[in-house]
Amino acid sequence: MSHDNDYEPRIVGFLCNWCSYAGADGAGTARIKYPPNMRVVRVMCSGRVSPELVLRTFREGADGVIVLGCHIGDCHYAEGNHRTARRMPMLRNLLGYAGIHPDRLRLDWASAAEGPILAQIVTEFTERVRQLGKLETK
Amino acid sequence: MDEGTLLTELRMAVSDTLTRADGVLALRADHGGAVPHLFKPGNDLSDLITEPRYPMAMILDTLGDAWPEARLGVAARGCDERALIELAKRNQVNLDQVEIIGFACSAEQATECRCAKPYPDSLVVGEAAEGVTEDPRLAELDVMSVEERFAFWSAQYEKCLKCYGCRNFCPVCYCPICALESELWVETGLLAPPFPSYHLVKAMHMVGRCIACRECENTCPADIPLTTVYAALHRDTAELFGYVAGRSVDERPPLLLSLSGTMED
Repeated sequence: MSHDNDYEPRIVGFLCNWCSYAGADGAGTARIKYPPNMRVVRVMCSGRVSPELVLRTFREGADGVIVLGCHIGDCHYAEGNHRTARRMPMLRNLLGYAGIHPDRLRLDWASAAEGPILAQIVTEFTERVRQLGKLETK
Repeated sequence: MDEGTLLTELRMAVSDTLTRADGVLALRADHGGAVPHLFKPGNDLSDLITEPRYPMAMILDTLGDAWPEARLGVAARGCDERALIELAKRNQVNLDQVEIIGFACSAEQATECRCAKPYPDSLVVGEAAEGVTEDPRLAELDVMSVEERFAFWSAQYEKCLKCYGCRNFCPVCYCPICALESELWVETGLLAPPFPSYHLVKAMHMVGRCIACRECENTCPADIPLTTVYAALHRDTAELFGYVAGRSVDERPPLLLSLSGTMED
């Protein structure tokens, strides 16, 4: 765990094109502040985020990974985010068993109109990852 | 039941099945070892054996692909049957064409494999032994902190020779294009594969699929206790989704389902 004040967590966010990315855009337009730690990757659906992709993101040096999609029922592809909703909790458990704190992976939902909620989620997550410190996988 | 009686009765059951099937897959003694063999009607069954344990499901899968109209029997342990159920629900084997001649493992074998169900549902020969209810290795993992787990698994995965034995011997791994061979998810040219790539990708693919046969662990030349993490995930799928891999063809893999329980390919 790092107590270095200069430490800034590296966070990668996978945001779905239809809801969360638009939500992040909305947060920006409305000038809502949230920590700049999250690097956004726009994906067409949160269901596109495979466990392999999350694992590789950690291996490439992310301290935290956040997956943001449409609320259940709002998915542009009807049930794409259902798979996300089932698979991400299992991946969190797996990370925990293998010794990577499960809180380093977060799944949440934010609609295109929920910029303030998205900002809050990202703020919370950034602070949580800051507490956990740098992820050492070597 | 002693081993000799079990063998005699199994040979009788196989002989009976051969009156209505095109062949029966079982182990055959061969040059002091054992090989899987397709016994055909009229064949001498005196060299049909049961030991050592050998995963039959993938072989049956291959036979079924090559010969889809054949009616086949298979001498199967509990784990073989569970693997066949997983393969059947994923459209890899057609159980309508298969007759499972189940035989029971001994109590000693059950302990050795930490097996929860050392007998098949289609038990034809032998007596069902008591299963092992608690995996001692999982109990050890449960009491470790996240940091201890990281230290433990880093040391274990560091031993990996990347021989792919755990995948090759897995009776429920069948994908023609394997994520573990993709440069994108498991970089080539590095040994051991850097944590958390190879092993966690494999573990994630085992969710809702691993039938706890321990073949991967038995075959691992580096003695990595691979199935401990799979067992933990197995427990989670049972708790979260009420799903147990290998229990029934009608139970559908939870990670492939929508929240309303539909499955579309």
